[in-house]
Amino acid sequence: MFEMAKELLKQLFRKPFTNRFPSKHVPKSTTKLLKNVKEGMAKVNRPVPIPEGFRGKIAYDKEKCIGCKLCIKVCPANCYDFLEKERKVKYHLSRCTFCAQCVDVCPVNALTSTKEFLLSDYKTH
Amino acid sequence: MSLKDLNRSLWVFHVNSGSCNGCDIEIVATLTPRYDIERFGMKLVGTPRHADVLLVTGPVTRDMEKKLRRVFDQTPDPKVVMVIGNCGSTGGVFYESYNLVGPVDRIIPVDVYVAGCPPRPEAIIEGVVKVWAKLEKRGEKK
Repeated sequence: MFEMAKELLKQLFRKPFTNRFPSKHVPKSTTKLLKNVKEGMAKVNRPVPIPEGFRGKIAYDKEKCIGCKLCIKVCPANCYDFLEKERKVKYHLSRCTFCAQCVDVCPVNALTSTKEFLLSDYKTH
Repeated sequence: MSLKDLNRSLWVFHVNSGSCNGCDIEIVATLTPRYDIERFGMKLVGTPRHADVLLVTGPVTRDMEKKLRRVFDQTPDPKVVMVIGNCGSTGGVFYESYNLVGPVDRIIPVDVYVAGCPPRPEAIIEGVVKVWAKLEKRGEKK
């Protein structure tokens, strides 16, 4: 009996486990909220912290790239197109599986994994 | 269609059109207390006839093409289609499969694409925010 009361009291003062991303409830106007967030007037709750070694969107440094085509060879999802004229590659986010094999194989470190993962959009890339 | 036409909680029907189950697990994860999408009034329903939003995962296999079309037709009309995961938006790793009829947008019109393989639950929630913003913008134009 007392054990239960103890647990009850503990639960009463504990914060809920829910991560309230991006806001606690539905805002009255989403467009207004998004605009306010852009201007820095309002804040949204942060997402759950991502684990170490997370493989997010791949960043491509065009300057560093030497056009060796290794990333194209190693990619299981065919997410790189080769640009013949410039001898560079084009990265397609919507085809990527985020395996980061291209990051491992790139000899000049032109490709790196970022921690970006909020990637929804109205069109494919 | 705008948010005024859809003046209610969005109910969601989930169609698996040949997905590897990674995205499906992430959709279920958004329903868990950690992310708790029910605080926005959303929930998974058992039939497309009750749904406002279709969540489509997976590239469309030959078997699922007709069924996906049918599910889309069964959903009552102010409706939104979200594609979860890269398979649905471009084919992903299955891009050269003999059994692929094409990405989802070749079969039904899609409103929002959530990229990721699989996307994290927050990314799915962000996709929902995008849906909301799109509906509101359509409402303003009217």
